[in-house]
Amino acid sequence: MKAVPAAAVFFAAAGLAPLVVRDAFLLDGLVLILVWGSAAAAWNVAGGYAGQISLGHSAFFGLGAYAAAIVVTRWEVTPWLGLALGAVVATAIGLVIGFLSNRLRGPYFVLATIAFSQVLLIVGSRWRAFTSGSEGIPVPFRPGFWTLGIADKRVWVWIVLALAVLAYLIGVYLERARRGYQLAAVREDEDAALSLGVPARRLKVAAICASAALTAACGALWAQYVGFVDPFYVFSVDLSVRFALAAVIGGLGTALGPFLGAALITTVETYLRAQFGGIGAGLVGIYLIIYGCVLIVVVRWAPQGLVGWVEERLRRHGLVGARP
Amino acid sequence: MSLLSVAGVTKRFGGIVANRGISFDVAAGELVGIIGPNGAGKSTLFEIITGFYHPDEGEVRLEGTPLTGLSPDVVCRRGVARTFQKLRPFQGLSVLDNVMVGALTRTRDVRHARERARELIARVGLADKADAHARTLSTGQRKRLELARALATEPRVLLLDEVTGGVDQRTIPDLVRLVRELHAGGLTLLVIEHNMRVITAVAQRIVALFLGEVIADGPPDAVARDRRVVEAYLGQAYVP
Repeated sequence: MKAVPAAAVFFAAAGLAPLVVRDAFLLDGLVLILVWGSAAAAWNVAGGYAGQISLGHSAFFGLGAYAAAIVVTRWEVTPWLGLALGAVVATAIGLVIGFLSNRLRGPYFVLATIAFSQVLLIVGSRWRAFTSGSEGIPVPFRPGFWTLGIADKRVWVWIVLALAVLAYLIGVYLERARRGYQLAAVREDEDAALSLGVPARRLKVAAICASAALTAACGALWAQYVGFVDPFYVFSVDLSVRFALAAVIGGLGTALGPFLGAALITTVETYLRAQFGGIGAGLVGIYLIIYGCVLIVVVRWAPQGLVGWVEERLRRHGLVGARP
Repeated sequence: MSLLSVAGVTKRFGGIVANRGISFDVAAGELVGIIGPNGAGKSTLFEIITGFYHPDEGEVRLEGTPLTGLSPDVVCRRGVARTFQKLRPFQGLSVLDNVMVGALTRTRDVRHARERARELIARVGLADKADAHARTLSTGQRKRLELARALATEPRVLLLDEVTGGVDQRTIPDLVRLVRELHAGGLTLLVIEHNMRVITAVAQRIVALFLGEVIADGPPDAVARDRRVVEAYLGQAYVP
């Protein structure tokens, strides 16, 4: 979608919110929306634009989270270095997954990605000497920007906003640039794309690597924000599904979609947790049921995602023309 | 020297020999037709020329340079484009975007590619459909779209797999005229076609395949009267 104004409003609102909002609960929600939105946008590079549907992206998220946490706790260097390191390792693993995508198509690729994240889960939870095993790693709090020891959630909003804007701009690039058109062709029909001179294999691998690196960056920042890395959470299929779901609900292969999807999912989830937490703890899992219902509604009535649905309405009312 | 040459190409799938020692040349500017009953190996040959299959023996050369072993995208960039028998438009993309993908193989500039794509869409007669999704097109329109898309890659040789197959009778003349125009414009074409009336009308030369082998190669009327060709198509009882 060429709806740059909508995106500008979305990100400007997120950027200005900390100036008005003081409530820690709301700011926390905003940080999470931006982190999940960025991760969903990163997923979208491979899943939405290149058509390589992965349900193992938590592998990259977890790698980023661990890289940042480990460099801080073991070597006492800046988590920013961990972020870069996580992105590099994720890119390397992206190469392997990308290679797999040239061998396996459709459901076989999806299964391979799930397996990959589960292998990392086992490594993370068993390699006690290096990852502290299933206990997870508490990230020490050392005040300062360089050490990402920031208590003020408003600053966190701005940090993750920068990441979100970067992820969004990558999406915009893929909607308009030569490589974007070529990736869309690969997604639609790989053989036809090849016959037109599109280097399909190389592009798929590149998309998966970029997606992996960006997802790892999200994981690294998230770990520093939350202050704890738990292998069973960061490598979970749950998390992979969350990235994919946010992108699907928001609009596959759209730049803004993953953020809208993440905003919807995170809001609903946070609300439900607040409602049913504490005494109603037995109902904590209800958000999963709601997830399912939201997904059914979207797939049934807005298969193009929120972005596609809104575009369609606007076009019907003649507010925007067909594409130039 | 010939522009495209197929030299001793053999392709086996397990025990089945789909192509057996196929050799022929296509000169620059020529329009060569390929005929043969189902299972003669026509499509396999196309897949080999365009790099989707690699032959077990023999090779394909473009102006003397071997294409064999190159991947399909590289073959396209060398100047060999194709359409598919079973049409494969990018369903979710607009007609314009479909053709732009081809054009972007020759230019890095998206705006330039868009202009080029619009020209080609007009040339194949789809101008009013430029913004429509490919999935909304009829079979005849999809054929035109595939043609425009392949032309956008600026091929030196264009391989057409079944120009008129699956298209209703009324649209056949338009498609044939289009192929003639392209040929008149200097393009070299290799065309698989089932409709004998169509192929004898447009081709300068016809190569006939049967059970993976070349059984005739020559001017259309000579090939149409060739004893082995008639036999292959109709069976021995019909041979005069």
